[in-house]
Amino acid sequence: MAQPDAKPLCPTITGSPIARLRHYAHAVWAENIKEWKLELTYPADFARGLIDPVVYLLPYLLYGLALVGGRQSANLEKLVGTSDIVTFVTLGYVFIGFLNMALWAMGFSLRKEQFYGTLESVFAAPVPRWIFTMGMSMHSILHQTLMIAVQIVFITALFNMTVNPVGLLPSLAIVGLMLVALYGIGMIMASTTLIFKQGWLISEGLGSILLVVTPIAYPLAVLPVFMQKVALTVPTTYGILTVRHFLLGERMGFSVTTAFLRVAVLSVVWVAFGLIVFALIDRYTRRSGTLSHY
Amino acid sequence: MSATVAPARSGMTSASYAHVVWAEFTKTVNIWLSYPIMIAFWAVFPLLWVMPYVFQGKALVGSMSSPSFQQLTGSGNYMAFVLIGAMISTFIFSGLWGVGNSLREETYWGTMEYIIASPTPPLVILIGKTLAEWAWSSLMVAFQAAIIGIFFGVQFTVAKVLPVMLLLGLLMVGFYGFAIAFAGLTLLIKEVQGYVHTLEWVFFLFSPIRYPVQVNPITQLVSTLIPLTWALVAIRSIMLVNQKPVNLWRTVIVLCAMDIVLLVGGYFLFVWLERKTRRDGTVGMH
Repeated sequence: MAQPDAKPLCPTITGSPIARLRHYAHAVWAENIKEWKLELTYPADFARGLIDPVVYLLPYLLYGLALVGGRQSANLEKLVGTSDIVTFVTLGYVFIGFLNMALWAMGFSLRKEQFYGTLESVFAAPVPRWIFTMGMSMHSILHQTLMIAVQIVFITALFNMTVNPVGLLPSLAIVGLMLVALYGIGMIMASTTLIFKQGWLISEGLGSILLVVTPIAYPLAVLPVFMQKVALTVPTTYGILTVRHFLLGERMGFSVTTAFLRVAVLSVVWVAFGLIVFALIDRYTRRSGTLSHY
Repeated sequence: MSATVAPARSGMTSASYAHVVWAEFTKTVNIWLSYPIMIAFWAVFPLLWVMPYVFQGKALVGSMSSPSFQQLTGSGNYMAFVLIGAMISTFIFSGLWGVGNSLREETYWGTMEYIIASPTPPLVILIGKTLAEWAWSSLMVAFQAAIIGIFFGVQFTVAKVLPVMLLLGLLMVGFYGFAIAFAGLTLLIKEVQGYVHTLEWVFFLFSPIRYPVQVNPITQLVSTLIPLTWALVAIRSIMLVNQKPVNLWRTVIVLCAMDIVLLVGGYFLFVWLERKTRRDGTVGMH
C-alpha cells in the first residue's frame, strides 16, 4: 500500500531543481491554504481579527489629537517635513502587522502544530522545515494585507487621509524587500519555540522592544541615540521611513537608494542567520529527543 | 454520587470555605512562582508598552508638557498620564485574564472536573483565585510605582496613596464581580480568548487608559458607563492636579453604585451559568 505513494515523492525531491522548486511551492501553497481553512472555520474570530488593528490604532490617533489640539503638529513638521499626524501615525502603524507576522504567525507556527498534535507529521514530511514556515508567512502576509486594507479604508473614511499615489509602487517594492528580512527574524522565532516550547514570552518581549524602537508613531530623532542605533538594524524601520517618504514626503536622514541597499543587506543577513539558527536548533532537538516534549 | 456531594456541601462551614480559599490562593501563587521570569516581565513590560506614547508626545509637542492636554485633563504632563493609565490598567487586565479566564485554564490543566465534583461551590474557588490575582497585581503595580517614582519622577506620597487605594478598591470590587460572571461564561462557551480581546478593545478605546476620552464626544459618552473611567479620572486628579480627595465624593458614590450592580449581577449570572452547564452536562467539554 505504501509503495505507490512513496514512489512519486522521492523522485520529485531528488529531481531537477525546477521540479524541486515546484514541489516546494506546492508545499508552501498547501500550508497557506490549510491556515486559511483553519481560520475561516471560526468566522467570528476572523471578523474580529480584521477589526482589531483599527481599534488598536484609534487610541494612538486620538492621543495625538489630544496632545496637539488638532490634526497638524508644528513640531512634527519641523522634525520630518510633514505635519499631518493622522496619516503619519496610520502609515507607521500598519507595519505592526508585518512585525506580528514574524513574531507571532511564524514564531508560533510550530507551537500551534504541537497544540494540534501534528508537529511530528510536519517534521516527517518530505520537504525542508523552512518550507513549512514559509507557508505560514505566506498566509500571514495575505492576512496582514487584508487587515491593512480594512484599516486604511476605515481611517480614510473617518479622517479623510490623503497620500501621494505616485509613491504606491516604490512603497510596495520596499515592503516586499522588508518582508524577506522579516522572514529571517520569523525563522529565529519559530526555532526558539522548539527549545522553549512556551515561546510566547520571547515573542512578547521582543515584540515590545521592537514596538518602542521602531518609529511607528514618531520619527527616529526623538529616540535616545542607543535606541536609534538598534532601530537601524530592524528592517521595519526602513520600511516605515521609506513608505512615509514616498507617500507623505517624510525626510528620512538618508537617501532612498541607501534605504533599499540597507534593507537588502539586512534581508541577506537576517535570512542567513535565521536559517542557520533554525537548522542548528532543529538538529539539537532531534538529537536530544525533545521535539515532542510539551 | 449526588448523595455524597450534597451532605458534604451542606456540611461545609465558613472556616472550611476560608480554608479552601487559602488553598486556592497558595496553589495559584505556587504556579506563578514556578515561572519567576514572569514576575520580571509583568513588572517591567506594561511600562515599556507606554513608551511609544511618551515618544509620540515628544515628537508631536516638542516638550514634556502639552497645553492642549492640560485643557482636557487639567495637567499637561502626558507622560505621567499614560504611566498612571498603565499601572491602573494592570489590575484590570490581570483580573480579566486571571479571574475571567481562570476556569478555562483549569479545563486546559485537566482539573476542571475535580473542581466541579468537589464539595466546594466553584464560586468559593473563584474567590481564592480573585484574591491571588489581587495580590499578584498589587505586587506588580508596586514594582511599577517604584520604577515610575525612581526613573520618571512621579511622586507617591502617603496623602495621595491612601485615597488612590480607596478608589482602586472600589474599582476592583465591581470589576471582580464582572470577571466572575465572565468566568461563568467560559463554562458555557469554553473558548473566550476572542471575547477577552474584544473587552480589551473596549477598555483601551472607551476609557482613558492611554488618552483623554474627552477628545471625542462618542468616546466621552460611552466611557461614562465604564467604572475604570471614573476611577482613572479621580486617581489622576489626585496624583497630577493635587485635587483634595474630599472633592471626589461624587466619584465614590458612582463607583459604589456600579459595584453593587456588578457584584450582584455577577454573582447571579455565575450561579445561573454554572447550574445551566451542570444540567446540560457540558462542563467536561472542551
